[in-house]
Amino acid sequence: MLMPKRVKHRKHHRGRREGLTKGHPTVQFGEFGLKALEPAWITNRQIEAARVAITRRVRRTGKVWINVFPHLPVTKKPAETRMGSGKGSPEAWVAVVKPGKVMFEIAGVPEPLAREAMRLAANKLPIRCKFVAREEI
Amino acid sequence: MAHVELDARTRSALGSAASRRIRREGLVPGVLYQQGAASIAFAATERDVRRLMHAEGARTAVIDVTIDGETPRPALLKDWQLHPVRDEVIHLDLQQVDLKVVVEAAVPVSLIGTPVGVRDGGVLDQPLREVTVRALPDALPDAIELDVAQLGPGDALHLVDLHAPEGVEILGDPDAVVASVMAAGGGEPEAGEDEGGQEPELVGGRESE
Repeated sequence: MLMPKRVKHRKHHRGRREGLTKGHPTVQFGEFGLKALEPAWITNRQIEAARVAITRRVRRTGKVWINVFPHLPVTKKPAETRMGSGKGSPEAWVAVVKPGKVMFEIAGVPEPLAREAMRLAANKLPIRCKFVAREEI
Repeated sequence: MAHVELDARTRSALGSAASRRIRREGLVPGVLYQQGAASIAFAATERDVRRLMHAEGARTAVIDVTIDGETPRPALLKDWQLHPVRDEVIHLDLQQVDLKVVVEAAVPVSLIGTPVGVRDGGVLDQPLREVTVRALPDALPDAIELDVAQLGPGDALHLVDLHAPEGVEILGDPDAVVASVMAAGGGEPEAGEDEGGQEPELVGGRESE
């Protein structure tokens, strides 16, 4: 599963999830993509589940790009623990996704297949998403 | 090439808050820049902008911009901004041009045919979607076509393989890859499921708990 190789600090502050995406609002590498419509923390397990769903549906044809990376460690205190005694231990790695971000891209497959693969991937994610095609004007 | 028309009016209120107000009225803010003179901030109706963006060859067509009913000014579409979620045009950049002076502009590259390598299971990749060309504004092509039918697995076509129409000069690194056929990569399926237990290494040694 995706996670950083080296980090400066084991635990981070949570940060904010306000506003719209600044980077990657369009399909840049492939032909079709999956765009986030809500802000969320996407865990590395969810990213992996979505990737596997896409890969299985397209039966290993085409090419898939993942444009999100879980840089942020999320900590959690053990169950039934009293408050205090410091911050909990790292439990997961998440990617901070804001509305408008194209999270996954695919190329080399027909549109109906890409649409179906992205629908399956969206089902693995905790947010509403939409299927997008490369903008051509 | 046919010209596209755009009716607009000047706007005096500038800045993001004023632009937001303009958008709420169903207008799209934009700017027309010109050489040797001050830029003109304008606003056009959303419907006109949508019609402009969907016109054939809008990316390179000469746009006759009529601002406040004055004589039309020839311009090229330089840039545009889309809303990340709603995909609506939220700003336009136009550059006024002299139809007798050569300009540099970005022209899309369109690939024609199905490569041999794709029929064998590869994926057609197009790292260069548009090229910079030098031509008179009226001579700018809608797109530069490139036949990729003979492209086998691992083959690539470069900028030097593009054929520009008469009066158009292609600029850029001749060795830049325009299109290539790569192996299908949807295929690292069930990558080793290393469970998320381990922690990444710390830069510069241990951190106190």
